[in-house]
Amino acid sequence: MDPETANGTVSETVTLRRLEVSDVDDFMVWAGDERVAKFCTWEPCTNKDQALDFIKSRVITHPWLRAICLEGRPIGTILMTRDSGGGDACRAEIGYHVAWQHWGKGIATAAVKMAVKEVFAEWGPQLERVEGLVDAENVGSQRVLEKAGFCREGLLRKYFVLKGRTCDMVMFSILATDVLPC
Amino acid sequence: MDPTSRITLRPFKLTDVDDFLKYAGDETATRHMRWNPITSREEALTHLETVAIPHPWRRSIGLLDDDEDRSIGYISIFPGSGDDRSRANVGYILAAEYWGQGIVTAALRIAVSTVFADLPEVVRLQALVEVEHRASQRVLEKAGFLREGLLRKYGYCKGEIRDLFIYSLLSTDQRRI
Repeated sequence: MDPETANGTVSETVTLRRLEVSDVDDFMVWAGDERVAKFCTWEPCTNKDQALDFIKSRVITHPWLRAICLEGRPIGTILMTRDSGGGDACRAEIGYHVAWQHWGKGIATAAVKMAVKEVFAEWGPQLERVEGLVDAENVGSQRVLEKAGFCREGLLRKYFVLKGRTCDMVMFSILATDVLPC
Repeated sequence: MDPTSRITLRPFKLTDVDDFLKYAGDETATRHMRWNPITSREEALTHLETVAIPHPWRRSIGLLDDDEDRSIGYISIFPGSGDDRSRANVGYILAAEYWGQGIVTAALRIAVSTVFADLPEVVRLQALVEVEHRASQRVLEKAGFLREGLLRKYGYCKGEIRDLFIYSLLSTDQRRI
């Protein structure tokens, strides 16, 4: 998840599409960057083979993952993960990454809004809740979700161990009823 | 009499089956559980064999003044796996005839005094409680859990989607025993 500092809106066009193996060079721009990987469970890619392997084994296979494109060119990813367990199919968790060069432009916020609309249409009416868990230190990413219309529900203490460090996580959610017209 | 001094916690045995069935088959006692009442002795035996006994941390609640140490409920603490192994979910059930005496609160206090030593990778206990279930919220609060927030439409229970309060207790929190 990436921080944003500007409150400007995006002037260039942001679109979502499937990520392909042929996007590997663009992919490496953010996947190889420690600043992007800081709050993620993965380590930055250091070479093309690693990046190709990552794309083939974790990106292409993911049930719902899109490249965030600026003027048609991938500059990040956004994904939704839903519990396969029966009782919890009503909720999905969002994650996103944007190349550092494009932080502060409102791109992640725009991508989150689009992805939320898409996934409620695709997985509804069973899907009722999209949630985001953001490291308490990742203030920029918290602002992304707030600007995208998510509700801050609380601070979950020592919720997760990330790269050997215990983290407090802020829980955000947006409901289908928050997004769709009544 | 202080209920804490009357409570025992111990692992389940197959011989608990009939006592287990009394509350596990009761609609009142199981109302807020995610599973449906267990209605046959065979189902109860299977549950003990495959779930309760091999469980990472499940303890039958019994009363000290009862010579037979009958199971009248249980506390269940289930750690996550992989990246989630520092976190464990807490659940509990008590036979309805014993409600209102502080028994679950007492049992939970005993549980939290030992579970962090038993499950050394766990730093956070958490519990999800329905908004309407005031009694369970009081149990957690009296056992020292902190309410962190309301998770809207978080999950299904018995076919209906629910808003759930999330509570937590950390290994570093001060605990009353």
